[in-house]
Amino acid sequence: MKFKRLLVDNQMSDLARVVAFLEELGEEWELSVQQILSLNLVLEEALTNIFLYGYDDNDQHSIEINFGIEGDQLTISLIDDGQPYDPTLKADPDITLTGEERPIGGLGIFLIKKIMDKVEYERKTNKNILILTKNLKP
Amino acid sequence: MNVQVSISANYAIVSVDGRVDTTNASELEKTILGVIEGGGTKIILDCSGLNYISSSGLRVFLVIQKKLMVLKGQFRLCSLQPGIKEIFDISGFSTIFSLFADKEAAMIEK
Repeated sequence: MKFKRLLVDNQMSDLARVVAFLEELGEEWELSVQQILSLNLVLEEALTNIFLYGYDDNDQHSIEINFGIEGDQLTISLIDDGQPYDPTLKADPDITLTGEERPIGGLGIFLIKKIMDKVEYERKTNKNILILTKNLKP
Repeated sequence: MNVQVSISANYAIVSVDGRVDTTNASELEKTILGVIEGGGTKIILDCSGLNYISSSGLRVFLVIQKKLMVLKGQFRLCSLQPGIKEIFDISGFSTIFSLFADKEAAMIEK
C-alpha cells in the first residue's frame, strides 16, 4: 500500500498544482499518460465544484486529497469543509439529446462517475468526504 | 493552451493545442466568438494538438455549436486524439458534433 497527500486551497490557480502533483505521482506509481489525464479530469471536476459551490464565505479553505494504491486498486479521497453536498445524488444528463436540446453544463460529476469505478460520499464531522476508486488494470 | 486562427478556402480553421480546462476555456470561447462576429460561420476546429479537455472546455464546444446552428453555419471538429474522443463518447458529444479524421476530410465534405 502506497499513500500520498496533496493539500490545495479553494482557488482556481491551484488546479495547476494538481497537474504538477499528478505528473510526479504518475512517475512514482508508474501510471500511463492517459491514466494521469483521466485522474486530472476527475480532480478538476470535483475541485471546481467545491471551489464554485462549496463555500458561502470568501475565506481561504484547504481541501485535502489523499491518494492510495494497493495492487491495481487506486483510491482517491477528497475532504473539504464546505456546505454539505452529495454529488452521487445528482441526476445524470441525458446524453441522447440533440445539439439543440442539450443543456449547457452539468457534465462534471457525470464524467467523474463514468471515469471512476465507484464514487461514494460521506458527511463526517462537518466535512464532505468523496471517495473515488478505480481498478487501473480492469 | 495555444489557439491559432487561419483562413482556408471557405473555412476559418481554429487550431487548439494543449489543455482546455477551467482556467482557460473562456479564452478559447472568446477567440471563436470573435471569428463568428467577424463573419466566419464555417469553422473547423483542429484538435490534433488538444490533449486534455474538461467539462469547461466541452461547455465552450457546445456553446459554439448552438450558436452556429442558429446562424445556419458549420462547426466541424477534426483530428481528435483517442483520449479526447473517449470523453466525447462518454458525454454523448460524438453524436452532437460533426467529427472528421483530419482537416482535409472536414474541408471536402459538403
